[in-house]
Amino acid sequence: MENDKIKKMFAGSVVRMIAALTIVGVMSGASLVFVYNYAMPRIKNNIKEETQKAIKNIFPEAEQIKKEEGYYSVNNSKGDLLGYAFTAEGNGYQGTIKLLAGISPDLLETIGMEVLESQETPGLGAEIATPKFKKQFNGLPIDGNIEYVKNKKPEKPNEIEAIAGATISSRAVVNILNKKIDKMKTIISSVDEGQGK
Amino acid sequence: MIKDFVKGLWRENPVFVQVLGMCPTLAVTTKAVFGLSMGLATTFVVVASGVVISAIRKFVPEQVRIPMFTVVIATFVTVADYVLKANFYQISKALGPYIPLIVVNCVILGRAEAFASKNNVSRSFLDALGMGIGFTCALIILGGVREILGAGTIFGYRILWEGFTNWIIMILPAGAFITLGLLVGAFNMIDKKVKGQRCGN
Amino acid sequence: MRELIVILIAASITNNFVLTYFLGICPFIGVSNKIDSAIGLGIATTFVMTMAATVTWLIYYYILIPFNLVFLQYVAFIIVIASFVQFVEMFIRKVSPPLYKTLGIFLPLITTNCAILGLTLFMVLRNYTFPQAVVFGLGAGIGFTLALVIMAGIREELEFADIPEPLKGTGITLIVAGMLALAFMGFGGIISG
Repeated sequence: MENDKIKKMFAGSVVRMIAALTIVGVMSGASLVFVYNYAMPRIKNNIKEETQKAIKNIFPEAEQIKKEEGYYSVNNSKGDLLGYAFTAEGNGYQGTIKLLAGISPDLLETIGMEVLESQETPGLGAEIATPKFKKQFNGLPIDGNIEYVKNKKPEKPNEIEAIAGATISSRAVVNILNKKIDKMKTIISSVDEGQGK
Repeated sequence: MIKDFVKGLWRENPVFVQVLGMCPTLAVTTKAVFGLSMGLATTFVVVASGVVISAIRKFVPEQVRIPMFTVVIATFVTVADYVLKANFYQISKALGPYIPLIVVNCVILGRAEAFASKNNVSRSFLDALGMGIGFTCALIILGGVREILGAGTIFGYRILWEGFTNWIIMILPAGAFITLGLLVGAFNMIDKKVKGQRCGN
Repeated sequence: MRELIVILIAASITNNFVLTYFLGICPFIGVSNKIDSAIGLGIATTFVMTMAATVTWLIYYYILIPFNLVFLQYVAFIIVIASFVQFVEMFIRKVSPPLYKTLGIFLPLITTNCAILGLTLFMVLRNYTFPQAVVFGLGAGIGFTLALVIMAGIREELEFADIPEPLKGTGITLIVAGMLALAFMGFGGIISG
């Protein structure tokens, strides 16, 4: 008898536990679906706007930005091709660095680089986002790899000067770009060939 | 009633006295504005979850209360995260993974367990609001000190002279620990003085 | 292989979870006054971290993404971690009571340890592959243990030091942690190769 009673009590509380957990779970899920539906379009829009702004920083005359498979082709108001832009990411000193790079239509040199996201050390690695560092990536030849030098002025056209005290972050930027530019060159040139240019 | 609200501001300040919720406190306070945003997001979560938990406290079976509280908290954190991402994209990017980490901020589960699960909705609301504001103030003070010494600015406005050499260490992790350690010390000193005066009277 | 070693070293030393990401500070300040208990908590946390990284990785890539449930990420992760800790507790209690005696009291503390949830969030943010995620969990655990044990050693010595009254306890612990963070920054160049 006593045993039965305990069993019954226990069964009741298990049912109650499961019911309570289910109700809370369902409510939580439902409200999150609601919030997700509200926020997601806005978040996508934010990301899009940020990319567009970065592209316009690299190509000041950019007017029509067309999204292609994996990159953007950038045209001015007359419809002339200014170059291609694409995002590239990889690991920096403290987490992911996300960059946006622009290259010329003939795929021979860089136009510029913007930092979209980085968690580098403020005051050191975070200097990769300063104009002084970014400007070095304007007009670098990309038939070979971009290289970096430490503590001296670059001598060759494909060299940039690493930030003092933040070699790891500087090298990360160079590596991320080299890797992605190589990939983009094959992709874009194969697309061009496909279109019979 | 008023007491429920005021205690979070000073006597039971979550950061300086209870030393809870340390990861966001130290991680995001490189600038005052990040401290403010993190503080507000946390206040939202602690108040909303406090109210909901207090409202459902009678239906919650004792054995599963912690998982249930955690689900409620995690839900509100997700809400805060998405709203920030949708409306304050730059700030949310700067705070990064520390917004979702509000879930495990001990201040919130602590208030749910110690107060909201035992008291009515309005008292829980005031308690949570006090804790949230106390937390926010602490974050702004810490962020303010680090921003002034580390960048010469406060909320982005330059207040130190032009030639000031920024103390980069203040923005680095080491600076966070040391500043908070000294602030806790200062807090104890002031607290002791205030208490001493009361006794004297 | 090289990549995995880099992740292991980065998570345990150069980007130490406690000293650069501020994750797991609560137990760091609370438990780190005796070396013995620091080692116990460290081992328990390392174990849970490695397993949590494994399990949440599988859940994220095989359940949340295919079923388009990414918005449940935080809720799902915290439930996984909480129930996992519970499970580990039951398992250890059954299999090895002496081990349970040493680790048991720390287990409930681990659920609210931000380092575990932080680990799973970083793992997703950085798009780690499965082996990378497991190694990352292991490295983070080792780093946590390292910081905890060093801190406990220093604090045992501090008991005999003459510390200004208002800084006693939390204040001096934080300042010492700051010094440690500075010291760990010195390892920054290790993985530059």
